[in-house]
Order: sequence, then structure tokens, then C-alpha cells
Amino acid sequence: MERRLFIKGLGIIAATSVVVPSIAMAAEKTASATKMGIDKALSEITGGKSISVSSKVHLKAPEIAENGAVVPVTIEVDSPMSETDYVKAIHVFATKNGNVRCADVMLTPANGKAFFSTRVKLGVSQDVMALVETSKGEFLSASQNVKVTIGGCG
Amino acid sequence: MGKRKSLIKVKPKKYNTGDVVKVNFMVMHPMETGSRKDKKSGKIVPAHYINEVKFLFNDKPITTMQTWESLSTNPVFTIYFKVPGKGELKVIYSDNQGEVNEKSKKIKPKS
Repeated sequence: MERRLFIKGLGIIAATSVVVPSIAMAAEKTASATKMGIDKALSEITGGKSISVSSKVHLKAPEIAENGAVVPVTIEVDSPMSETDYVKAIHVFATKNGNVRCADVMLTPANGKAFFSTRVKLGVSQDVMALVETSKGEFLSASQNVKVTIGGCG
Repeated sequence: MGKRKSLIKVKPKKYNTGDVVKVNFMVMHPMETGSRKDKKSGKIVPAHYINEVKFLFNDKPITTMQTWESLSTNPVFTIYFKVPGKGELKVIYSDNQGEVNEKSKKIKPKS
């Protein structure tokens, strides 16, 4: 009887000591590496100002990307691009990449059209996000989920 | 520092002063993230990516970009540009290993 209890006890200790830290570590990893990354990057750019999701920002990206190494992303913003009212900057983010920032594009009225297109690498299925800063100091955003079949990193 | 292959394309091919044209800039660059391992040696390949791209017209900045390793290998940058007249469109790009290159294209509007 004593022996049985002893073995049972051992089993429970072993199970808890292995499982609990691994769960805790996994939760920590996802929180710090992905969620905090994008939030921190956004607050760094906006300086704490609010961001509104806008239909003026058109973000084009494939819904399913077979190859994550080359994902075309196009961002177009409805803006007159005049001296007084133009798009100052377009920031592109990949929300779950190791480095969430892809590109910061500083535009001027000489562009004539608020447009930027490039190709990004995506490690896993994730949201691609565009943050647009206008000359009036507003922050507009748009995002789209991209499913990646084969990751593009590593 | 070898010279990199790059290309500037302007679309459409024929344009007038005041037209808004599409400018495509392509560059052959490995864009290493710094987290990939070499399959043969097992060593980590150091990060090597373009971190700044500048579009200038007659040495006046039009668009400046700051970029990171999340861009694809051999990246493409597309912007629009209002043709103010005759001149030279120049793209200066530099990477995190201190390599600086430039590419230029003459802008000749029909009228």
C-alpha cells in the first residue's frame, strides 16, 4: 500500500513540474513576441494617438499565399495629394514576423498619388497591416489576413 | 563591394509634363534576415538587408523609405510620381552592411 502511494505521488509531481512551466512559457512567448511587438511598434509611431480603421486605405494582398517568401502587398490611399492635404507616410507591418516592421514610406505632394507596392516575406499565416499618417496628423489603418502555406523565413 | 543589378521602369513609356506615372524600382539583393542557417555549414547567415531607399528628382527628394528584413529577396518598390518636367530620376539605396549604390533614369516628357 505504501509503495503504491509513493509511486502515485512521484507521478503527480513529475507531471505537474513538466506541464505547468511549459504552459507558462508558451503563453509568455506568444504574448511578448507577437502581440507586444506590433503594439509597441504602433505606439512608437503614433506617440499614443488613436488609430482609426478607414475605408480610405485600400490594402491589397493575396488571401492565400502559397509561398511566404514572396507576398505582393499594395497600398493605395484616397487622397488629393495637394500641398495642404497629403499622405505623409505609409507604414507596412507583418504582425507575426520576428520583426513586425517591413517598410516606412515617406511621401511628398510630388508623388501625385498615395500609392506603395512591394513584396514581403511572411513566416506564418498572419495579418498584414498598413498604417497611414496624413498631413493633418490623423492615423488611418487597414489590415488583411494572409494564409501562408509555406513559411518564408528560415 | 560588387555592383548590384537594379532597374528603374517608368509606366507608361510615353508621358507628358504633369502626368502621374508609375515608377518601378527593382534591385537584386539577398535580403538575409539574420536568422537563417546555412544548410551546409550550419552557421547562421548574418543579416544583410536594404535599410534605406531614396527616390530623388533633380536631387530633390520625392520619397524616402526605411525598410527592414521582412521584405522579400530581390525586392520591388513601386510608387507614383508626377512628372514636373525634364530631368533625372535617381534612386539611392543603402544596406545594413554599409553598401551604398545608386541608379538613375532620364525623364523626358513628350511635351
